[in-house]
Amino acid sequence: MSRLKALAAAALLLGSPALAQQPEAKPLEPGRENLAIPYEKYTLPNGLEVILSVDRKLPVVAVNVWYHVGAYDEQPGRTGFAHLFEHMMFQGSKHVADDVHIALMEQSGASDLNGTTSFDRTNYYETVPSNLLETALWLESDRMGFLLDALTEKKLETQREVVKNERRQGVETAPYGEAQEKAWQALFPAPHPYSGNVIGSMKDLDAANVDDVKAFFRTWYAPANATIAIVGDFDVAKTKALVEKYFATLPSGPKPKRPDVKPVKVTRETVIRHDEKVATLPLLSMAWLTAPYLKPGDATADVLATALGTGRASRLYRRLVLDKQLAQSVDATQQSQGAQSVFTIEAVARPGVTTDALQKEIDAVLDEVRKEGVTQEEIVRARTRYDTRQLAGLQAVGGSGSKSDTLQSYNQFVGEPSYVAQDLARYQEVTPALVKQFATDVLRPDARVVLHAVPSSKGAPPSSGSGKEAR
Amino acid sequence: MHRRILTALLTLTVSACATTKPAETPPETPASQQPQTPAPDPEAFRDTQPKPGTPPEIVLPTFEKAQLDNGLTVIVSTRKELPLVFAGIAFASGVSQEPLAKLGVADLSYRMLLEGAGKRDTVALDNAFADLGVSPAMSVEPDGAFVGARVLTRNVDAVMALLSDVVLRPTFDAKAFDRRKKQQLGELVRRMGDPNFLAQQAYYAAVFGADHPYGHPSGGTPKTVQSLTLADAKNFYVKNTGPRAAALIMTGDVTLPQAVEWAKKYFGGWKGGAVAPKPPPAPPAPPREQVRVVPKPGLEQTVVLVGRPGLAAGHADEYPLELATTVFGGFFGSRLNMNIREDKGYSYGANASLGTRLGVGPLTAYAAVRQNVTGPALEEFMKELAGIKTNPITEKELAAAREGLIRAFPGAFETVEGLGGSASQLFFHRRPMDEYKKSVEGLRDASAAEVQRVAEAYLDPAAMQVVLVGDPLVIQEQVTPLKLGKLTLVETPASDAAPAPKAATP
Repeated sequence: MSRLKALAAAALLLGSPALAQQPEAKPLEPGRENLAIPYEKYTLPNGLEVILSVDRKLPVVAVNVWYHVGAYDEQPGRTGFAHLFEHMMFQGSKHVADDVHIALMEQSGASDLNGTTSFDRTNYYETVPSNLLETALWLESDRMGFLLDALTEKKLETQREVVKNERRQGVETAPYGEAQEKAWQALFPAPHPYSGNVIGSMKDLDAANVDDVKAFFRTWYAPANATIAIVGDFDVAKTKALVEKYFATLPSGPKPKRPDVKPVKVTRETVIRHDEKVATLPLLSMAWLTAPYLKPGDATADVLATALGTGRASRLYRRLVLDKQLAQSVDATQQSQGAQSVFTIEAVARPGVTTDALQKEIDAVLDEVRKEGVTQEEIVRARTRYDTRQLAGLQAVGGSGSKSDTLQSYNQFVGEPSYVAQDLARYQEVTPALVKQFATDVLRPDARVVLHAVPSSKGAPPSSGSGKEAR
Repeated sequence: MHRRILTALLTLTVSACATTKPAETPPETPASQQPQTPAPDPEAFRDTQPKPGTPPEIVLPTFEKAQLDNGLTVIVSTRKELPLVFAGIAFASGVSQEPLAKLGVADLSYRMLLEGAGKRDTVALDNAFADLGVSPAMSVEPDGAFVGARVLTRNVDAVMALLSDVVLRPTFDAKAFDRRKKQQLGELVRRMGDPNFLAQQAYYAAVFGADHPYGHPSGGTPKTVQSLTLADAKNFYVKNTGPRAAALIMTGDVTLPQAVEWAKKYFGGWKGGAVAPKPPPAPPAPPREQVRVVPKPGLEQTVVLVGRPGLAAGHADEYPLELATTVFGGFFGSRLNMNIREDKGYSYGANASLGTRLGVGPLTAYAAVRQNVTGPALEEFMKELAGIKTNPITEKELAAAREGLIRAFPGAFETVEGLGGSASQLFFHRRPMDEYKKSVEGLRDASAAEVQRVAEAYLDPAAMQVVLVGDPLVIQEQVTPLKLGKLTLVETPASDAAPAPKAATP
């Protein structure tokens, strides 16, 4: 539960990829028909893809635009730029006055209103009362077509400050924030585009200028590099006409080619010892590079992550929290991404317990899996969990992890918006032997980055200056 | 302030429109190089914001209620589109029912429900839920607690059987308690590393008083938790829960008659005399005399919490105050955020919210600001609060808040777990089943004069308590000149010997 919450929070701040949040699964009979999402997809002459899906449950419509660009596509020396750019998309465009976008949506009763950036994509979404669909299309089309007309130095300056504060909030002043960033830098050494953090470094944020915004917009925000999904209570014919009216005349260049980056490899164990300044308890984290989203091995990693770290009966929880009582909490995730994924195990120590003690126990659990795999029962439980989660993800029409996001995600990664059945079918193929093989071949001790984030002895816990005054 | 800026920028944009023409071919040429042409602009239609069609009906969820002979309340909200059901038990006693010497007992007691029930121990119970595709959710709040799960329709009966074990037949195993207690003590250490938690803890003590039932967060202090025994946890559960102080919540693919049948089958035999507790007393809202500082040396941002007691759910001022708070800081486009974030760039975001509770809840404004603008940012908080009186809420601001809040209702109830959460809140706050209809009416009917009156009454900067978490020296240097009150370091219960959270007033 806490894991889900943490992921949701990450999505809010930065938008960790929606796909990574929900390792989906295979519905059994009663739920299956509900997982097929009826939709229509077509492409405007300028290359903009349109996905329409009617859902009349409530009188609301979600508009969700994906630009197929993320932190992965940034230039060297401009880490964080894709996300900084995302902020600029809320600052007005030629026909939409500055700071009007969000205010107008809010006073119209929009919910699930935001933009998020991941390594692989950037999305912008709003769920509006059904009579305001045209207003949402007006707003989305104007920033897709006319953003630069309203761009100013001052706006960039302000948003740079806002984003630097976002970074301070999510990295510098967050427990383990800087430590986890170091681990990612070790997994993907610079200049790999996944290196570090979607939000970028302070130095690179400082370096970003108006010309960068212009160039990034012209290259990556072409209609040919975007897909708009409209999901909810709307009239299909009228909506097609509206999409034509607002988007068809937007000029576009060709679909940009994303950088071709060779997969990285970790060939020897990297150990990071971080002097933790914010958190009060030690954290041990181990991370490996794994198969990309939806590629062979990705589903196996999902199942193992669930068996290891989800619930009180999971293997790591049982050993480290229940039996040995060395850890406060454990976590295991497969963060699925377009180029390469990351499999992470984390444990937070009980007071007085060392990270070395945690590592010993985690290694013991991993050795078990390398020898025996997991049980068929664990695999079935994981699948049932994914069934439920996948169906639940179709309840909300807009926002991160919603129905429109699901369509968009499959569309970007496999070119087929309704891919739920195929996605879930992957988990039917996962066997105890495959999990064993994955643990042995991929989760190798010499292919991992191990992070010990240990609070500095004098920094924490905060002093209890009883009765003293600061004035 | 931001209004004027907005107008200025608007003018800029409009003038840009007059002198430029959209690029017709890629790549776009810079706007400045475009010749001015008198030709009709085919894109001119974009200058006009589309006129919205007829607003759809405000579709609100229906909550239905029934009661079993043993007193158990059943609350249902039916939503049939998907074969999903959210089911759980809401308990009417929460953190506010903890005796001061036993802070943390509510949390520990309720969490023991998932540490073994019926014939299953911790692991077997978790596996039984996992067989249904879920980990059970548990939350312990000021006014109640909730345990439940979201499952496919075909798993409802099975999950009800498990919940019945959890609620009626918890094991309260001694070994599991011992472990859970140590884990809880560890949590108390862990959360000392979270600046937002430190702020919240000091804030509750500042607004309600450390001895008030709402004066502390869930979880207790090292001292109180250390002293808790298995008997304490068991007694809390026995004394505070029972069918007359609980509700079965079911939302989604389920009807009221079905829910009543399940309630009878699995909870019909539940006995116990506990009744729902009285609301905590209203705290005083005295003028601010101090600025409380939780030291976190070297922290790059300062967490700012500004607030006071608000009101209890159902209070006559609730909807006017909701509107006033929204104009002040509830929306992204509110005065506070537009100033602190969008104009000054001091923060990733500033907001204000009215925390509705069974008793008087907190009225809170929040931002995490860059360390070296702690003083200026806090000054802007105070200016915006004072500005509510000197620069009264305009008709336009009020209309935006009113329409925005009302129109957002349908979209706020998309998920069965969301409906379940809302149903629990109705139960915790003892609100009628048509509460949301009343909310819409209340928001619609609140007059401008009423909104302005409550805004001035509740947002007066003089009665706003201030809590800052950050580098004490920076705060001292930046905040002292503002003369907002004596800077006082707040003691945090980090060590075993520390007492309950308390402002260390010299």
